[in-house]
Amino acid sequence: MSTAHAHAGPDTFPAAPSLLGGIGRFALREFRDALASKWFLLYTIAFTVLAVGVSFLSLSGIGSHGFAGFGRTAAGLLNLIMLVVPLMALTAGAGSIAGERERGTLLYLLAQPVSRTQVLLGKYLGLAIALVCSLCIGFGVSAGMLAWRTGGVGVGSYAMLVGLTALLALAMLSVGVLISVTSRRTAVATGAALFAWLTLVFLSDLGLMAGSVLFKLRVQEIFGLASANPLQSFKMAVIVSMNASLDVLGPVGAYASHTLGGALPLVLTASLVTWATVPLAAAVVLFARRGSV
Amino acid sequence: MRGPTVYRTAGAIVLSLLSARGARGQAAPPEPRPVAEVRALIDAAGAGEVVRVPAGVYQGNLIVSKPVTLDGGAGAVFDGLGEGTVIEVRAEGVTIRGCTVRASGADVTSEPAGVRVLAGSATIESNIIEDTLFGVDLREAPDSVVRGNTITGKELEPGRRGDGVRLWWSHNCVIEGNTVRGVRDMVFWYSENLRLTRNTVTDSRYGLHFMYSHDTTLEDNRLSHNSVGVYLMYSHRISLIGNSMLNNRGASGYGVGLKDCDDIVIRRNALLANRVGVYVDNSPSSIGSSGLFESNTIAFNEIGLLATPNTHENVFTGNAFIENEEGAATHGRGRLASNAFARAGVGNYWSDYAGFDLDADGIGDLAHEPRSLFGAMLANEPNLRLFVHSPAQQAIEFTGRALPELRPESVLVDPSPLALPPTIGTAAAGPGADGVRMAVVAAVLLSMAGACVLGMGIERGLPAAKSGGRS
Repeated sequence: MSTAHAHAGPDTFPAAPSLLGGIGRFALREFRDALASKWFLLYTIAFTVLAVGVSFLSLSGIGSHGFAGFGRTAAGLLNLIMLVVPLMALTAGAGSIAGERERGTLLYLLAQPVSRTQVLLGKYLGLAIALVCSLCIGFGVSAGMLAWRTGGVGVGSYAMLVGLTALLALAMLSVGVLISVTSRRTAVATGAALFAWLTLVFLSDLGLMAGSVLFKLRVQEIFGLASANPLQSFKMAVIVSMNASLDVLGPVGAYASHTLGGALPLVLTASLVTWATVPLAAAVVLFARRGSV
Repeated sequence: MRGPTVYRTAGAIVLSLLSARGARGQAAPPEPRPVAEVRALIDAAGAGEVVRVPAGVYQGNLIVSKPVTLDGGAGAVFDGLGEGTVIEVRAEGVTIRGCTVRASGADVTSEPAGVRVLAGSATIESNIIEDTLFGVDLREAPDSVVRGNTITGKELEPGRRGDGVRLWWSHNCVIEGNTVRGVRDMVFWYSENLRLTRNTVTDSRYGLHFMYSHDTTLEDNRLSHNSVGVYLMYSHRISLIGNSMLNNRGASGYGVGLKDCDDIVIRRNALLANRVGVYVDNSPSSIGSSGLFESNTIAFNEIGLLATPNTHENVFTGNAFIENEEGAATHGRGRLASNAFARAGVGNYWSDYAGFDLDADGIGDLAHEPRSLFGAMLANEPNLRLFVHSPAQQAIEFTGRALPELRPESVLVDPSPLALPPTIGTAAAGPGADGVRMAVVAAVLLSMAGACVLGMGIERGLPAAKSGGRS
C-alpha cells in the first residue's frame, strides 16, 4: 500500500500491479469511500442501536432465570438481522458498479492498467470489509452490554451468530454486485436490490408457505426449497448452533435433523457459501463481457 | 447450555482420553466368584440379621428368600452375565444396600431386572444398578423404599428398553433421591399413596409415568431431556409441587402431560424449554372434578399450554407464561373457553400481554386475549413451523392484526392478567465467567473493526481529496 502513497493520489496506478495487488488497491479505495459515505455511518448506527435494544430485551427475559432459552425476544435478534443485514448488503452492492457507471468514473477506472476482474473483486472486497466492520461494531457493542448485564447468551453461540451473519452479508453483497453489474443506472440497481430484498425476506417464504399448503408438499421438498433461500439457511444454521437440533422448527426441522444429523450445519453453510460465490462469479463474467456499457 | 456440535465432540474426545487414562491407572479387577458364596452367607445368617458381603464380583443370579439385610459396603458387585434377573427378593422385609448390580438379561418378554422385589416392606438403598433391562421392579411389594440408587439402562434403542423403576400394585412406597438415566420410564401401575421426592430422570422416554395410580404427591423431582417429563394417565388426586421439567422435547415433548386425570394440583413447578410445557387431554374427565395450575413458571417452551378442545373445569392462577413461542393453544380447533384463567381476581402473567396497568394494582386493565394468525395456521399446518423466527411470520401476524376479517378467535381469555411475573426469583447475580468471556468477545469484535478503520480507512499523509464519494 505504501508504494501507492509514495507515488501519487489513491486513484493513480503507476504500473500494472499483480493480480492481488490490483484487487487490494481497489479494495482499499472502496473501503475508504464506504467509510466516508453516509450509508456506512447510518447502517452502523441503526444496526448497533437495534442490536443493543434487542439484546437488552432478551436479557430481561432470560437473565432473570439464569436459563438460556431460545425465547421470543432472543429470536428478535435473528429477526432483526434477517431484515437489516440483507438490506445493507444488497443496497451497498447495488451501488458499487452502477454508481461508477452513472458518474462516468467507471471508464476512468477501467483505463487503469488492471483487469476488469480485479476492479470488480477489489470493489467487492472493500465493501465486504466495510460491512463486516459495521457488523463487528454492532455485535461488539451489544456483546459489551451482554457482558455488563451478565451474559445469558452463550459465548460460543454468539460467536457463531456473528460469523454466520458475516457470511449472510457476503452472500447478499454478492447478489447486490451482480445486480449492479447488470444495471445502467443507480436508481435501477437500487430498485432491483430492494425487490430482491423483498423477495428473499418475504415473498419467497410466503410463497413457499402457500405452496406447501396448496400442493401438500412433503417435508423433504419443503426443506429443500427453504434451504435454497439464504435467509432461511442462515436462520436454520443459527438455530442449529444454539439448540444442537432443528426440532424447534416442527416436522420439517425434525426431518432435517434426523436425516442429515451432523452434516446439517455443513449443508446450511454450503447454501450460504454458494450464494456468496455463484452470483459474484456471474458478475465477474458479465462485467468482463459488458464492461462499462 | 448446549454449544455447537463441534464443541461437544471436542469435549467428548477430551473426556474419553481422560477416562482412558483413569482406567489404565486402576489395579487389575479381582477374580470373579460364583454368587453361591453369597447364597451360603445368607443361609448361614438368621432372620433379620445383616449380611456383609465382602468386596468382589459375584457372578450369577441371586434369590433372597429370607428377611435379611444384604450390605455390599459399596464393594460388592453382582454380575448377572447378561442372563435373567440379577437379584430377586422373595421374602418380606429384605434390605439391599451398597451393592453394584449389573448385566441382567435383555429379552423384553421375560422382563429381566437388576433387582426384582416380589414381597412387601423391602428397602433398596444406595445401590448402583447398570446395564440392566429393568432397574428396580416392585411387584405387589407394598410399604417398600427405593432410595438413593443410581440406575442406568441398557444401551438399546428407546423402544426396546425396560423401565428404570417400576411399581406394580405396590401401595405406600417411598421413592426418593434416585438418579435414573437412559431407560424407558419410571412407571407406577395401580400403586397408591406413594411419596416421590428428589428423583432425577434424564435421557429416557417418560420421566415419571403414572397409570391408574392415585393419591400421590410428587415433589422436587427433576426431569430433563426426556421425551416427556411427567405423564399422568387415568390417575386421580395427584399433586406435583416444586418439580422442574427441562428440555423434554421428544416426539411428544411435554413437560407435564395429563390424560383423563381428575383433581390434579400442579403448583410451583418450573417447566422450561420443553416442546410443550403443559399438555392437557380430557382432564378432568369426571363430572364434579377439577384441575388446578397455580404459581408455575412456564417459560421458553414452543407452546406453553396445549389442551384438547374438550378440556374444561381447570383453573389457572398466578402462573408465569414467559417467552413461549405460543402461550396457549388448542390441539386442533376450538377454544379453552370453559377453563378459568383467573381465580378471585388473580390471573396469570403473560410475557406477550399487550395491555397496561394504569391504576398500578398489579393487575392489567385489559383482559389478555391472545390472537395469533400464524398460531392459528400452525394448528392446521404443522409443517409451517419451519418459518417461525422469520420476518415472514411477523408479516403474517401483522396482517392478522390489521385485517379484522382474518383475525382468529382468541384461544383463551384471562380477565385479570398480572402486570409483573409473580414467582420469578432473581437468579442472575453479578457477572460470572460467561460475562467475562462475553467482554472478551466484545473487545475482539470492536478492536477488529477499529483496526480496519484506523489501519486502512485513514489516508495518511495525503490530502483529503476523495474519489467520487457516494452518499
